[in-house]
Amino acid sequence: MSDFNIPSVAFIYAFIFLVAFGALFFFFRTLRDGYWGKNSEDVKYRMLEDDENGGEYGRK
Amino acid sequence: MEKEEIIQDAGEIPVSTAAVYSESIHEDRTAKMFLISSIVYFFIVGIIALLIAAKFVFPTFLGTIPQLTYGRLRPLHVNGMLFGWLLACDMALMYYIVPRLCGVKLWSEKLGMATAVLWNVIILGAVVSLLMGWNQGWEYAELPLPLDVAVVVAWVMFGANLFLTIANRKYKAMYVSLWYAMGTILWTAFVYLTGNFATLFATGVNQANLNWMYVHNAVGLIFTPVGLAIAYYFIPKTSNTPLYSHKLSMIGFWSLAFVYVWTGAHHMIHGPISQWLQTITIVFSVMLLIPVWAAVYNFFSTMKGQWHQLRDNVSLKFLMSGVVFYLLTCFQGPMHSLRAVNAIVSKTDWIPGHAHMAVLGAFSFFAIAGAYYMVPRVFKTELYSNALANWSFWLFLIGGLGFFVTLWLGGFWQGWQWNNPAIPFIDTVIALKPIWHTRLASGFLMFGGIVAFAYNILATIVGSKGKEVHAEPAAAAA
Repeated sequence: MSDFNIPSVAFIYAFIFLVAFGALFFFFRTLRDGYWGKNSEDVKYRMLEDDENGGEYGRK
Repeated sequence: MEKEEIIQDAGEIPVSTAAVYSESIHEDRTAKMFLISSIVYFFIVGIIALLIAAKFVFPTFLGTIPQLTYGRLRPLHVNGMLFGWLLACDMALMYYIVPRLCGVKLWSEKLGMATAVLWNVIILGAVVSLLMGWNQGWEYAELPLPLDVAVVVAWVMFGANLFLTIANRKYKAMYVSLWYAMGTILWTAFVYLTGNFATLFATGVNQANLNWMYVHNAVGLIFTPVGLAIAYYFIPKTSNTPLYSHKLSMIGFWSLAFVYVWTGAHHMIHGPISQWLQTITIVFSVMLLIPVWAAVYNFFSTMKGQWHQLRDNVSLKFLMSGVVFYLLTCFQGPMHSLRAVNAIVSKTDWIPGHAHMAVLGAFSFFAIAGAYYMVPRVFKTELYSNALANWSFWLFLIGGLGFFVTLWLGGFWQGWQWNNPAIPFIDTVIALKPIWHTRLASGFLMFGGIVAFAYNILATIVGSKGKEVHAEPAAAAA
């Protein structure tokens, strides 16, 4: 029987680092997109509005 | 809407008119199909749960019929509750929430319906295969390989539909529930592939380690983020109160993203894995308190001045009880990872007590709250019975508490006995009889909750046909 231990462990560590890299990448993008800025709280008020018709500017 | 205006109205039931219903851009066919099938599985798998709880009290119950033995029924219960009930209900709620937060229709209802059909085929296939004993023998990864492949296909269909909806969104800034929805899709793909495919190419301790990484993250990176997506959406919606802090929710999201993936190995502490890996998993498990407290503090602060709403609002009762259970279960997890505590409780009845508080007490409570909110709205009707909804809450709460607390205490008792070599093993089994009697009695109460919930939702749906609604259903705020 072939021993896949080394490739499987390499796979899982590569996968974990890929996910960690992705998390870091998107985390820094949130900085750029203003999620930590002064208007970052607006979204929590907007979500309370009626959204059945797509919200205030809803489109069909 | 200004913040002051919202808070002033916060005690009111969210107002929306039937006219708004008729103008809704959302079809919700996929959400409806996922929700109905998930509730049917909740009921059926609830019966299986009672049978296996009864086998702890009456070991000869149901005899030796292979399909009704503990070894066949237990994986059916676990997989049925995780994938047939909870994940399917969570998917229904995502199909409801994501288009609304994006201000656009779901990208494709046809693709959604195809996903729902495939998901039902998978669950029915799981019932047949697990009862027949076609089982890979790995915790939470018991399904045979063809069904694993079908799950991957269904998940790609689900993920593509939601990502394309989000890509087509009206608003640039995304509410935190959308972040958690996207995280769930990506992390589930990673966790499921590892737990069901990568394990096939590993052996020995590495295989066990990968499996526990999957088992723990099935809860931590699948049910936790989707559960939080639901809680972050429905707590402000049902209480008509803005979230305390969106920034804090972002801190919770990113800390969860960084921390969770390393914690699975705490199930192997004192086992044959290396000490450095045990130490890493302990450190990351304790660090879990950061994302957990960020979420819980946010929810409690949102409810500041609004606690009176719990009196009449059943959805909010489920949501806030779920938050308390989430806090408790996520305090237990890090404590369980400590070497001294782990030496007592690991492998005992404490573990199912802890796991049930996470999956039932926290995440199923969030899903039930979402269902009570969503069903009257998507079927444009009123909830069949507010009183029955209240009954379902108290049955779940009392039954759940009886189950969780008894098993934690029983687990410590069991662990202390196991650590004493002077006590014969069979004596430790006999000593736990009262614990298992209480477990069965609590199971009956929880099953009563399932019956009340399922009947209420299905009666609402059946009663909605041909019924006109002229005002927002009061119970929907429930």
